[in-house]
Amino acid sequence: MVEVNVKGAKKTFTKKKKKLQKVDRGKKPAVGERKALRKRVVLSNTNALEVEGLKDITAQSMIDDSLRGHVLAIPGPVVDQLRAVEAFKVTQGWPLFRRPSMLIRKDTLDMATEIENISLGIGDKTIRRVFVGERGSGKTTMLLQAMTMAFLKDWVVINIPQAQDLILAQTEYGPLPSTTPTLYTQRTYTASLLNAISRANPILQTLQLSQPPAENEIPIPVPPNISLSRLALLGAEDPEIAWPIFELLYRELTLPDRPPLLLCMDGLAHAMRNTHYISNTYQPIHAHQFTIIKWFLDHLSGTSPLPNAGLVLASTSESNSPVVPALKLALGQLEGNSAVRKDPFAKYDERVLGVFEGGGVEVKRMGGLSKEEARGLMEYWALSGVVRQRVDDGFVGEKWCLSGGGCVGELERAVVRMRV
Amino acid sequence: MRPGIQLLRSGRSIDVRPKVLEFSAHRIPLCLRLQQRRNITSDEKPLPESEQPKGPNQDQLPHVSEEAAATGDITGEGGPDVEQGSPVQEILKRDQKSQEKAPKVLQEELKASSPKGSRSYSTSTPRRAQAMIDPESAEVQNQGHIFGLPELPLPSTSHLKHRYDPVIHQVTNLLMQDGKLSKAQRNMAMILERLRTAPPPTPDPRHPLILGAPPTNHLPLNPILYLTLAIDSVAPLLRIRSQKGAAGGGVALQIPIPLGLRQRRRTAVMWILDAAIKKRTKGSGRAMFAHKIADELIAIVEGKSTVWDRRGGVHKLGTAARANLSFGNRRR
Repeated sequence: MVEVNVKGAKKTFTKKKKKLQKVDRGKKPAVGERKALRKRVVLSNTNALEVEGLKDITAQSMIDDSLRGHVLAIPGPVVDQLRAVEAFKVTQGWPLFRRPSMLIRKDTLDMATEIENISLGIGDKTIRRVFVGERGSGKTTMLLQAMTMAFLKDWVVINIPQAQDLILAQTEYGPLPSTTPTLYTQRTYTASLLNAISRANPILQTLQLSQPPAENEIPIPVPPNISLSRLALLGAEDPEIAWPIFELLYRELTLPDRPPLLLCMDGLAHAMRNTHYISNTYQPIHAHQFTIIKWFLDHLSGTSPLPNAGLVLASTSESNSPVVPALKLALGQLEGNSAVRKDPFAKYDERVLGVFEGGGVEVKRMGGLSKEEARGLMEYWALSGVVRQRVDDGFVGEKWCLSGGGCVGELERAVVRMRV
Repeated sequence: MRPGIQLLRSGRSIDVRPKVLEFSAHRIPLCLRLQQRRNITSDEKPLPESEQPKGPNQDQLPHVSEEAAATGDITGEGGPDVEQGSPVQEILKRDQKSQEKAPKVLQEELKASSPKGSRSYSTSTPRRAQAMIDPESAEVQNQGHIFGLPELPLPSTSHLKHRYDPVIHQVTNLLMQDGKLSKAQRNMAMILERLRTAPPPTPDPRHPLILGAPPTNHLPLNPILYLTLAIDSVAPLLRIRSQKGAAGGGVALQIPIPLGLRQRRRTAVMWILDAAIKKRTKGSGRAMFAHKIADELIAIVEGKSTVWDRRGGVHKLGTAARANLSFGNRRR
């Protein structure tokens, strides 16, 4: 093909060169790096102002009624413990402030009194409670506050940060021999749970194994007088033995003269339905057939009591929650909501209803903040430099109304995250 | 033809313009400029009255009762009350003839000094004139208000459609795709949060920010100012219009056109979006788009962004083409 450029003559057809596509030759992020960035919990903002006169919460001051509506900082060591049990969530507003702090609201004080009473051996030995409420009303934060106070009181805290992690078929599972119906263990998850327990509860270092385990119980030799913290780490290092070690550790923790226990689970509805795991007959496995979930729900239902007293807390979620009619019915009835009736056409899961049949489970609805509490929180925001407006009665009243009567999450959206 | 010699004119015209006091936007401190004046339609500005003669069905005769009231006023008899419909009893009182022909019930009612089954409560509605209490009367002012009365005129931000800062409003709309405003607003909130939490930027003296900017370590706590500063600093003063065939021989003529404030900002935001979209995402999740834009804004304040080059290019072209400025004027 020759291109002849003679005036008047037609140019011969020339094939155009294909445009070179831009190829991204940069370094690709490593496997899991992007997710790690998404799940990273940031607890400090160096741009935010340091709040003058911000007090730390202590084991003594947490039951002080005069602190209602004040914001107290969480002490550094407790922050590390809370981090270890994954009590902080990515969606919460921690990255906006200098250091993690919490508002003392009425429910917090009630909880503090209960923790104090249980520590002193007054009143109920075990409280089993489910938090329900609007989206952003502070259900998960109540769990965090309970854990904070339990750590301050030297309790042992075992937290399942998100029940969804246990049912999504993202962690390995296997049947537990000689169980009918078949129970399934999640060894990797159990190992990481043991790791969290060991790191979050320094009190376990002072507790020792009371008697050597039976020969066929643990496949590896366990030295006598080993500390419970070390025992948990043994299980954390080897997922093969994680579940037997967890059982042994729990048995040790329920012996006499051990500290009270706080058991927490967030996203309860996920633990109340069929999982994404399948059995050998290709049937979906129910969540209650998984050992960790079963262990927690046995405590929530009261089937396994806590001999050394303690709290069993679970929280529902409004933003990430499957529809479980049985759970909705049970919680509604326990709450005393007469409008919740059994729907003759709905299918109710007997196993779920069975959890709440025994009674003794309290359902606590998280309401809005009072105006005084909202004001305390907003003053803290203003002192941190996040709010630039003057915090007066008019401003507080306006935002309190805007947040649907003091719903904390909405209040934060209206005041801190608003684009004004 | 040779021009005649003009004694009174110099060979070249000299422009002697009185120096106008420059009241440019750059002279006003940024903090003062942020609160823009926004013209809002309101009751304070009533619609103008037409000066043209009225149409055929405007300016008609008043209603019958209005007319009767007017007549009553003149004669001194006191006609019907225009504010209210007049009750039958009132008419009967005035008119003896119709009293005789009235129904028996009404006649008895008139004779009776007081109604027999008088109710303990009133069934009459208050007159409109009474219901409309003068808000400036002492009685009303003495009543307590929980939050006090608002100061008038209301600030422009309390208007529903103007509640956000003008820059935020404009940028949010430019972020919007497929008409999804709510998503754009969420992105905007995430951009501001990123600006709030990112370490304070270190400015580059080669790319100075606009005058009146606060020190950069003050910016993270005022993310809207941060955003405004980045956009206004990098916004071009002009655009280049290519006038086809104006240079003769089919060659386009480059004519610099000055831009208004919103136009400047719009151009800057589009450049920023172009640059941000090309960035590589580091993490995953829905915040990535917002983070890329926020990172680009920070890069602008730090003088690292390529948007500065784009602005420089346009300004350079504008300087080169300033001789063509008169072309647009000549056509008018």
